[in-house]
Amino acid sequence: MSSTSALVKAALNSNFGWSVVRHRLFVQKRDRWMVPLIALAVVGVVPTLVLYFRLLGAVFDMLRSLGQEKALLTLAVLAGQLIILVFGLFYLIATFYFSRDLEYLVSLPLKPSQIMLSKFAVVLINEYLTIAPFILPALIVYGFKKHGGPGYWIIMPLTYLMLPVIPLAAAGLVVVGMMRLVNVGKKKDLLIIIGSLVLIAAALFLQFGLSRAAGTLGPDTQKIIALIGSPDGLVQTIGRRFPPAIWATRLLHDGLLTVSGFTGFALFAGVSILLFGGLMAGAQRLFFGGLVGLSERSGSPGRRAKARARIKVSSGLHPIRAIFLREVRLMNRTPIFLLNGVLGVLMIPIVLALTLSSSKQGSDSADILRLMTSAKPITGILVTTMFMIVCATLSGVASSSFSREGRKFWVSKTIPVDFRQQVLAKFLHSMAIAVLGISSAVAVLVFRFHLGAWQWLSSLALALPVTVFITSLNLAVDLARPLLDWISPQKAMKQNLNVLIAMLLDLGCLFLYGLAFVALGRSGLSLAAVIGILAALGVGLACLAYALVGQFALRRYPSIET
Amino acid sequence: MIEIDHVSKSYNKGAVRAVDDLTLTVPSGEIFGFLGPNGAGKTTTIKMIVGILKPDSGTIRIAGLDNQAEALRCKAMTAYVPDEPEIYERLKGIEYLNFMGDVYGVSGGERRSRIEHWLEAFELSRAVADPIQTYSHGMRQKIILTAALMIKPRVLVLDEPMVGLDPRSSHLLKEAMREHCEGGGTLFFSTHIMEVAERLCDRLAIIHKGRLVACGTMAELRDQAKDKASLENIFLELTES
Repeated sequence: MSSTSALVKAALNSNFGWSVVRHRLFVQKRDRWMVPLIALAVVGVVPTLVLYFRLLGAVFDMLRSLGQEKALLTLAVLAGQLIILVFGLFYLIATFYFSRDLEYLVSLPLKPSQIMLSKFAVVLINEYLTIAPFILPALIVYGFKKHGGPGYWIIMPLTYLMLPVIPLAAAGLVVVGMMRLVNVGKKKDLLIIIGSLVLIAAALFLQFGLSRAAGTLGPDTQKIIALIGSPDGLVQTIGRRFPPAIWATRLLHDGLLTVSGFTGFALFAGVSILLFGGLMAGAQRLFFGGLVGLSERSGSPGRRAKARARIKVSSGLHPIRAIFLREVRLMNRTPIFLLNGVLGVLMIPIVLALTLSSSKQGSDSADILRLMTSAKPITGILVTTMFMIVCATLSGVASSSFSREGRKFWVSKTIPVDFRQQVLAKFLHSMAIAVLGISSAVAVLVFRFHLGAWQWLSSLALALPVTVFITSLNLAVDLARPLLDWISPQKAMKQNLNVLIAMLLDLGCLFLYGLAFVALGRSGLSLAAVIGILAALGVGLACLAYALVGQFALRRYPSIET
Repeated sequence: MIEIDHVSKSYNKGAVRAVDDLTLTVPSGEIFGFLGPNGAGKTTTIKMIVGILKPDSGTIRIAGLDNQAEALRCKAMTAYVPDEPEIYERLKGIEYLNFMGDVYGVSGGERRSRIEHWLEAFELSRAVADPIQTYSHGMRQKIILTAALMIKPRVLVLDEPMVGLDPRSSHLLKEAMREHCEGGGTLFFSTHIMEVAERLCDRLAIIHKGRLVACGTMAELRDQAKDKASLENIFLELTES
């Protein structure tokens, strides 16, 4: 086996933990209870997937009636590539530069491009898994509805495999360049955060460009007629600012044996190879420059000279406050945690607001929400409550709270602090970030959607207790099986199975909450009564969940072995 | 002070017996050295004493208290230094010390004087305001030791404490260990450095494949071995498979 393939194999094994899983399941015979749980979680997603397939089927039918069904492919490819471009940046920075195994890899007789290739393979496979639930259904629906022949079913997986390469390689090139630039001076962490934000802003700018491209249609009847008049009209409009989506559409729709399809393939594959080659060449020249010394930090001589006079010995904080402060510091000072956690909850609502603002339909969205609220206030409140809860809880902060401690968990096990108090400190930290997300959501609802005070205050009263409930639930998920042996901080948050399991559970709970909301709405009760009942239900659930997670901590903490 | 009573611990559903029916007692005021080859069960035993691992069977008592049933009270009188200095890299040295002082309830005045004393002794005063990620292996070890000594616990449990320390710090630590026990404290530590164990410990135990193969003073161990030249010879003889 060549050194490159051995390295890629080891990187994949290390990242996905196949050897560890095999060892745990078949040698240690631990974690077997997880197998039915994961199967249950997968089964739990089926209803949502069925709904998604139906929705895509309806979109296909609608587009076909306009003769524009190809646009479904363009939308799917474009959505997949944009997801990868925006969210792949975190993966790339974390995997390329913050994996703990890099220090060993650098000392091995390997080329920078070989190390980069192994890391790229890890990110690529993660991206396949990340976009699969969003993109594959669209490609499958198109295949069935269009009665695609064997050619389509051969080309479709091939296209799916090529799909992440262009955005990942492009983002990779920018990341490698950025890290080389920021790996100077003392404030490396700050530069990494600023650099990441600039990259995300650039990716969003690209997205706005695409939205605007679609938005320029406006209500102009002439343009709409021209658009529908051409079978490629909508495809061209959607993919104008991002041609790979058009190439992939041609390849999928026309097949390899047509000039148009083959050209699409040649362009799609050619640009993928070109960008990937560029990344490898860039890695060869810049990777080590950005990597070596990244973990080094030096105290300033001036600061050190004054250090003795400035030693701040605290006079004694309550243990809960001390642990809370530790959580805040560890999250805010670890760029990957900060980007995924704090900035994540702040960004989701803002991105939504900006995205809607970028097209002329933005004002329509606000109008729709206002209209919905005035016609059926209960529906408006349900939408805004769900929005607040999602913005607050889907960051993965609570569901990675124990995992983030990693190998330092021995400290939590040996300090003389009641496990319930430790959980309370983590709960307060997770809630602080959730409140940040809710605040951001409220700001968007008030300033972008011009929501009335009574509506956002009602939604806030409903969202807060449900957020407490979900935060407690997420803490319990991570406490049940904390991932403590990670090599990259990214693995503790975004690649942590606990975060995914918690997310599925959260969505299930929100679905049930939504059902209760709708059922009460239809019961003929007054709006105030419905809000009152749901708020009381939320508070009850929150108290129960918090009490249970405290009890669970007492049982679970002693058996977590590090 | 530390009573380990028929303690066993195994991994992989009993396939690997890390500690097998271990019984020993360490009274107050004693420096107790715990020796054994790699994988003998030293770290597992230490982790069970400080509550990181749970014994499969048997009990461990600290000052007469069961360390499972009275976990918090046991932890409050115990400080632990692990073999790998894995601590919060993103905290500054002083923040870590304050955190440990807060959770162990060390008062402001005592904390200041002890921190200043040990930072000075370990030559860490100038680095303590820097993030721990800037520290070398030895400096990390010293900041964990500073925290443990600042707490001034009744029981100190140290796993390979000399690894990574420079000779001066190593000497200081040995003095601190002796001082701790002269003040009535108990010290349980593991080491691979036979000279240190021989000179420093009041009593020693040798563990091999999870089982206690010898325990006693240096003189008592000599009596058990054919080759009495040094602790190293005794160790090699007793741990021969």
